[in-house]
Amino acid sequence: MLEFLENIIPSSTIALVVFALFPLVLILVYALFAIWAERKIAGFIQDRLGPMRTGGFHGWAQTIADMLKLIQKEDIIPKDASSFLFKLAPFMIFTASYAAFAVIPFSSGYIGSNINIGAFYLLAITSFLTISIIMASWASNNKWSLVGGMRTAAQMVSYEVPTIVTVLSVLIVASSMNLMTITEMQTGNDIMGFLPNWFIFQNPFLIVAFALFFISMLAESHRVPFDLPESESELVAGYQTEYSGMRWGMFMLAEYADMLLLSLLGATLFFGGWNSPFGTFMSGPVWGFGWFMLKGMLLVFVMMWIRWTLPRYRVDQLMHICWSILIPLSFVNFVLVALWEMIF
Amino acid sequence: MELSAILFYVFTLLTLGSAAYMVFSKNIVNAAFALIFSLSGVAALYVLLYADFIAATQILVYVGGILILILFGIMLTTLDFTENLKTVTVNMLPASLLSGAVAVLLLYVFLSAEWTTIVPADRDGTMYDLGMMLMNEYLLPFQIAGVLLLVAIIGALLMSTRHKNEP
Amino acid sequence: MQTQIKEGFQTFKSIFIGMGITLRHFFQPSVTIQYPEVRDVLPAGARSKLFVNIDDCIGCNLCARACPVNCIDIETVKATADIDLGKTSTGNPKRLWVTQFDIDMSKCMYCDLCVHPCPTNCIYMVQEYEYSEFDRKNLIFKFSDLTPDKVIEVKEKLVKETEEKNREKELAQQKKDQEKEKDAGKTGE
Repeated sequence: MLEFLENIIPSSTIALVVFALFPLVLILVYALFAIWAERKIAGFIQDRLGPMRTGGFHGWAQTIADMLKLIQKEDIIPKDASSFLFKLAPFMIFTASYAAFAVIPFSSGYIGSNINIGAFYLLAITSFLTISIIMASWASNNKWSLVGGMRTAAQMVSYEVPTIVTVLSVLIVASSMNLMTITEMQTGNDIMGFLPNWFIFQNPFLIVAFALFFISMLAESHRVPFDLPESESELVAGYQTEYSGMRWGMFMLAEYADMLLLSLLGATLFFGGWNSPFGTFMSGPVWGFGWFMLKGMLLVFVMMWIRWTLPRYRVDQLMHICWSILIPLSFVNFVLVALWEMIF
Repeated sequence: MELSAILFYVFTLLTLGSAAYMVFSKNIVNAAFALIFSLSGVAALYVLLYADFIAATQILVYVGGILILILFGIMLTTLDFTENLKTVTVNMLPASLLSGAVAVLLLYVFLSAEWTTIVPADRDGTMYDLGMMLMNEYLLPFQIAGVLLLVAIIGALLMSTRHKNEP
Repeated sequence: MQTQIKEGFQTFKSIFIGMGITLRHFFQPSVTIQYPEVRDVLPAGARSKLFVNIDDCIGCNLCARACPVNCIDIETVKATADIDLGKTSTGNPKRLWVTQFDIDMSKCMYCDLCVHPCPTNCIYMVQEYEYSEFDRKNLIFKFSDLTPDKVIEVKEKLVKETEEKNREKELAQQKKDQEKEKDAGKTGE
């Protein structure tokens, strides 16, 4: 895709910038419609309709209107806040989510940076999310923010372990960290004659790995039932309490971008990335992008569906789930995946 | 100037600037946050040196692990960390002597070493080479480091566990 | 260990049951009524706004007396003898001009107590609930159909009639007094 852009745009620097801006546009468009979709899903699950007025069909322009409102809002910085860090944190959190999209293979024709350590880089760069949340919470100089920040730190550091171990169990099956190579390895429909060569079908223990990955993914992107950093009913809004206007909007955007990122990572690792489920039928760069987004959106939908079903865990339950269930299970599962790979 | 050269200077400035801020800042939390930028700048410099694996590890270990633990420690252990927690300068003379000596040593190494510019032929190999080296050539140090970490974990557990029969 | 596995299984089972329930609701039609376009049918006895059929009102003041919050304000003027106000639809003769029949809906507590005493069933609740106003004064509903000029005319007429009657009475009294005086004079002489 970069070559194509360089052909149509005279300056190669501009072509590079346009190339790099593609995920940003994707995140922005996705966030607008994901927030709308979240409200609609919440409404439908509760037998309501959700937003219906703005923009005609089922209120599709609701989030756009909300964004316009947020832009116009006053930017309030508390007097006793640590001003520089307070201003920096929202940008840092969004930069971190955006930077992680660099290694996601959106289609066979588009990947930001085809580096060999793709999966590792992605896991590393998301640790900036944690640090920016801690930064926001400390800089706000507010007890709710601080408690939210501490919870985030504890939660994300703990849940990083099962996430990494489950990702690692896919990596030993693929024996590569390059997300593009991992996706290419899943091309074709050879399992039992018709099933696609996705990793989740290749190894029975990878199904368990996916379940573990999905649970820790919910915790990593702090979604219900692990939304303790924000828990509205206990902590006002957690680390976002003191934020207003567009700075708060950046947090919201980063949260949704994070959801998308982890869903797309899950789709790449377990569900064949941009591969079509029907072999060569409807495959190709553009179709591939469609399939990839469809898989990602399905995971996002499940995350939203869970949000409107389950209640929130307590802090001690959260830690218990991670340290005494998920981590041992993921390690055992890791060994089993490796054994299966050795034997078959 | 080349783009990579500009990036090199930008990240050097980031690294050194935030390191200086960290050293001279009186507020310990601000110093910890400055350290994040310093270490991320170092990671970026690693990327410019074609050491992408080391760069990612730097971020994962330092930003994702150690600094979060440092901040966690500061915030959990001190009740009034927001106002009264300040760093003070002690042992002015020995510290400056020592750092001066280290600076002289580094300068000596920098000036006396014979620098050669090598063009990395294939940047794809870093991961594979690293793995091969760790598992063949440096297996023993690798394993010893693992055992050391295990011992450290057990020690930390012992220290943090309160015994029931003791007062 | 066994209990733990059992509990874990139970946890997963309950999560999936819950998610099944929410998924079922996801596909069920929603119960929302899109208010301004679609309106819910109110129950028959809904109390939302008071209405007075002023043609039937005989000005008996029973409703105002029944009101617990005094939100009904009625002023009546007796009709002069030369005018026949007719009868109400229920057959009661009307004898009073109802010059003022104000209901302050901002005070009304929708208790329905004013409806039942009415002998002609002319005050009742209607199913109209969209009458919010920017000014509180606009919530005082005036039901009297008489124009201010007509009210003044009616009042003046009544005053005139009363004066006439009083004069007649006085005259009659004077006559009586004179006759009495005559009788007294006769007897006194």
